Amino acid sequence: MSLRFVPSSAHSTTTTNTSSTTTKGAPSAPGLHDTLRSSLTSTSSNGTPAPVSTHPLESRLAQWQATQESLKMNMLRRNFGIAEPVRRGMEAKICKEGEWRPACLGGSANVGGEVLAGRDTEISWEDVYRGDESREATDFHTEMEGKVGMERW
Amino acid sequence: MPGFDFSNYNRNAALHAQGVPLPKATSTGTTIVGCMFDGGVVIAADTRATSGPIVADKNCEKLHYIAPQIWCAGAGTAADTEFTTAIISSNLELHALSTGRKPRVVTCMTMLKQHLFRYQGHIGAYLVVAGVDPTGVGLYTVHAHGSTDKLPYVTMGSGSLAAMAIFETQWKQKMTREEAIKLASDAIQAGIFNDLGSGSNVDVCVITEEKASLMRNYIRPNQREVKQKDYKFKRGTTAVLNEKVITREEISKYVTVHELSSDDDVVVVEKMDIDA
Repeated sequence: MSLRFVPSSAHSTTTTNTSSTTTKGAPSAPGLHDTLRSSLTSTSSNGTPAPVSTHPLESRLAQWQATQESLKMNMLRRNFGIAEPVRRGMEAKICKEGEWRPACLGGSANVGGEVLAGRDTEISWEDVYRGDESREATDFHTEMEGKVGMERW
Repeated sequence: MPGFDFSNYNRNAALHAQGVPLPKATSTGTTIVGCMFDGGVVIAADTRATSGPIVADKNCEKLHYIAPQIWCAGAGTAADTEFTTAIISSNLELHALSTGRKPRVVTCMTMLKQHLFRYQGHIGAYLVVAGVDPTGVGLYTVHAHGSTDKLPYVTMGSGSLAAMAIFETQWKQKMTREEAIKLASDAIQAGIFNDLGSGSNVDVCVITEEKASLMRNYIRPNQREVKQKDYKFKRGTTAVLNEKVITREEISKYVTVHELSSDDDVVVVEKMDIDA
């Protein structure tokens, strides 16, 4: 219930390139993150990309949007009660679930989610430099397997 | 990974720990100024781009477009000033379309400082934002760490001290457009001649309620002299040692030869410029 508007300066001092998550690694080396099939960065257990460096700016940028969002929700909660952030969270969740579009068809533009978050008139470096220029789009079957969690079966 | 890439940071830190020296921080040099006058604002910049001790570009453009009536002068890392102003320009346009109003200079300044603060000074953009909007004339400086200033006359960059000296001695309230242009370009020339990081020409942008006019190379105090001698070699200077003529019949044993007619598909060969 903090009202931080910038992420705390605590950042990771270690990184790992072996995955300790439940996701299946490369077939030949199950402990390693499968760089060729998934992205260059491994994902941590909570679904967010794990930091690739101990640079303080990286974790700051990674937490930036979540910190801003939680500040907004905390202030709404203090002003209007728990109902307001709950309603907004539900709206965002409904929107997110209806937004999915396969990556081979260009992926979702997430217009609804951006409108709800108040980010529909913003453009950032992440929109310009997507980081997937050199990678082929994941094919539909791989994406679907990941989406329903087939690698855990 | 989208956005900024940090994947080499750990490697570089490990190399440094093993004794590889860190790259030296680059000292950047520029003079940029801004000055308000009665009914508008003028910003000016020098045109030298340096890369360490080397002049990388003698006539670069440091005045960046943000909105029709808002312009920005940039000092610091050239790529950072250029891309930061470009992305804020896009954001401001989206914001203007969403609100249906002309963009405000304060909005632009706030967007810039919030953006730069998020990156904690790692984006090395030091900017002078100037413009005219329905609320009046705006002139601000934005530092790379996100701090801002609002003043009737501002200077930035390594030549800011030389330029500020001119403003501090000659600035007065309620100047006319011509007086302000003269004062701003004098301040830039003070930077050009007294600061090693600044040089070449003076670019000026005048923004009034009606329009913004960019005057590229408004003053050119450092024109290159014509060389007293030229070093063109006369045809035949180099002796021909031997000569061999290859006929088409001979060469078509190895490659396919097409006859080109003179009028239709003429092969355009890029001409090499030779320094006169």
